[in-house]
Amino acid sequence: MNVRARKRSAGGREAKLAARKEASRKHAPAFIERRIPVYEMLDEGSLELIESNADTLLQEIGVEFRDFPQALKLFKDAGADVTGELVRFPRGLCRSIVKATAPAEYTQYARNPERNVIIGGPRTVLVPAYGSPFVRDLDKGRRYATLEDFRNFVKLTYSSTGLHHSGGTVCEPVDIPVNKRHFDMVYSHIKYSDKPFMGSVTRPERAEDSVAMAKIVFGDEFVENNAVMTSLINVNSPLTYDSTMLGSLTVYARHNQATVISPFILSGAMSPVTVAATAAQILAEALVGMAYAQLVRPGAPVIFGMFSSAISMQSGAPTFGTPEPSLVLYTVASLARRLGVPFRSGGGLCSSKIPDAQAAYESANTLQTAALAGVNFMLHTAGWLEGGLSMGYEKFIMDIDQADMLAVLLHGVDFSENGQAMDAFREVGPGKHFLGCAHTRANFETAFYRSKVADNNSFEQWEEDGSLDTAMRANKIWKKMLAEYEAPPLDPAIDEALLDFMARRKAQFADQNY
Amino acid sequence: MNSSNEQAEMDDAEDFELADLPDDELVHQIHDDLYDGLKEEIEEGTNILLERGWAAEKVLNEALVGGMKIVGIDFRDGILFVPEVLLAANAMKGGMTILRPLLAETGVKPIGKMVIGTVKGDIHDIGKNLVGMMMEGAGFEVIDIGINNSVDDYFEAMEQHHPDILGMSALLTTTMPYMKVVVDEMVKKGIRGDYIVMVGGAPLNEEFGVAVGADAYCRDASQAVQTGQRLLQQRRAAAGA
Repeated sequence: MNVRARKRSAGGREAKLAARKEASRKHAPAFIERRIPVYEMLDEGSLELIESNADTLLQEIGVEFRDFPQALKLFKDAGADVTGELVRFPRGLCRSIVKATAPAEYTQYARNPERNVIIGGPRTVLVPAYGSPFVRDLDKGRRYATLEDFRNFVKLTYSSTGLHHSGGTVCEPVDIPVNKRHFDMVYSHIKYSDKPFMGSVTRPERAEDSVAMAKIVFGDEFVENNAVMTSLINVNSPLTYDSTMLGSLTVYARHNQATVISPFILSGAMSPVTVAATAAQILAEALVGMAYAQLVRPGAPVIFGMFSSAISMQSGAPTFGTPEPSLVLYTVASLARRLGVPFRSGGGLCSSKIPDAQAAYESANTLQTAALAGVNFMLHTAGWLEGGLSMGYEKFIMDIDQADMLAVLLHGVDFSENGQAMDAFREVGPGKHFLGCAHTRANFETAFYRSKVADNNSFEQWEEDGSLDTAMRANKIWKKMLAEYEAPPLDPAIDEALLDFMARRKAQFADQNY
Repeated sequence: MNSSNEQAEMDDAEDFELADLPDDELVHQIHDDLYDGLKEEIEEGTNILLERGWAAEKVLNEALVGGMKIVGIDFRDGILFVPEVLLAANAMKGGMTILRPLLAETGVKPIGKMVIGTVKGDIHDIGKNLVGMMMEGAGFEVIDIGINNSVDDYFEAMEQHHPDILGMSALLTTTMPYMKVVVDEMVKKGIRGDYIVMVGGAPLNEEFGVAVGADAYCRDASQAVQTGQRLLQQRRAAAGA
């Protein structure tokens, strides 16, 4: 009889389940390292033409800076022509300011160093949706978001391997007074996640509070020298910056914190209806904001942002996932690369009210375009419904599945010996199957992306399981994720200091809903 | 990933020999080894139990069938992957090769025998191969007559092997009607009632199975195992009654 010494290992079902669980935890990289080329849609001449038109816009039409004299002064000192609140720029001025000191890429630090993200270059950071007043799920329908919803989406994002960043206003917690909800939002990101996050921008003093809370976590000196927040600054397109956004931008830049300078454009209303015109306007607007940040503090990290879609010329409603915004996205991504700064766009954008086929198609169009265009910071990757009015629980699950897939796509093709798999051909030969060969056995677990949402079973199996559609399956998944959520450890002293800071600050002024 | 997991397992593992394990632990170890698809260990464990005086039937039911039941459940639930189940089925086959002659000697009714083949005009056999492997994994003796089988091929195999079950597969909508040709010929020859006929393949459904006169349509390999077991049990119960 063949008796041989062997190791008693915890084999069988339990060991396999434990090993798989451990493996899935380990395989959550902090961000995507891109290994396929970006899609360059336009030739050199076309891009130069758009750049020249952007310069003409800045030189001839100019940009308004409303109620913010500080910006007027800085631009005047830098050589711009200021008339009232309108600033006109000599050709190339903003570009030269940005190129001189804006970093090509930067690290945004997370409280868990393993979650630090590098933003820029051949990397993509996926971020949940931002700003919805409503939330929606299959059980309770559409309703105003609360702090509980906010926490839920921070937890879901923390639990999502495909999302690298905790985001900012993952939904608007309308049950908390407007002038105090930023405390709870920033705290929730710190408490319930260890991924990097965004600060408040709705008032300069709320940006200061965000910085103060970050300093409790990271330390004063560290924050002044490193980016620990990336915050969203929108341009009031066309060609206008307001004091709220400029004030918050100034706070963050002064503290060396990163900002995403994002023209917010629905073509036809906030820009001309054509792709070339919209791209030129976006470039002009973003250049000005990024240059301003460099004038406040040279070297402050900035992202060339853009949110660009179209409107329905019949109703005036925003549309998403249509071809023209994809053309804008490819164009502006190229312009950002020529400028040498990180680029933000994309996401799972749609105008559908529910997580249906329209939502899926529209979102997939934008996600794919953004991935191929080389977006570095992809806000709105998950949860977006109804043109951003609603954050969907089921939609979030559908989108994070797409996010995981994008990571695989961007990793490209494996050309190692294992990738070539010549041993598999030698073992199997013609007319047989590869399901049991050594190469398949060594690779099957990670060889193919396995969707958590899609049902690939036979018709009969699917019917037996209750004939569930995508949203119904996603409903089960988010509930399971929340039930299994475990908070990342947070130093109790830091937690206490944050709570103390919030309590003191909240006591200093009355609740107000503006 | 695999190598580091294996490394981790090795590190907190202790040396042991299967033969040193008491019966209950050995049976549990055989279940785990089936799950992990370890053919040599299964053969060794089977032999140890036999040497300890276990009847072949008891080894089969408690150690092997019990272990494969767990594999089947986890395959159905999407926990185990196809290559792992093939490995487990292959390990099971190793144990069955040892037990089958002993079971025959003692007059124990074998789990069942199946002739399986893809119909005439069709050379797509991966699904059929999976069904065959899974049936073997469940302890069935499987005679795989390959692809492109004519009525004569099926009849020859039935005469030679006397299976309990005849399995036919097709991937093409243009070849699947041939299943009816085979069944009709069985009816004509008066042997239809001697066999359980199971059919499968992507373009089939329940309705088609009924239309060609099969006893069952099986949508996948796990279903084929369950259906084969159930129909054979019913048939034997009916025969005994």
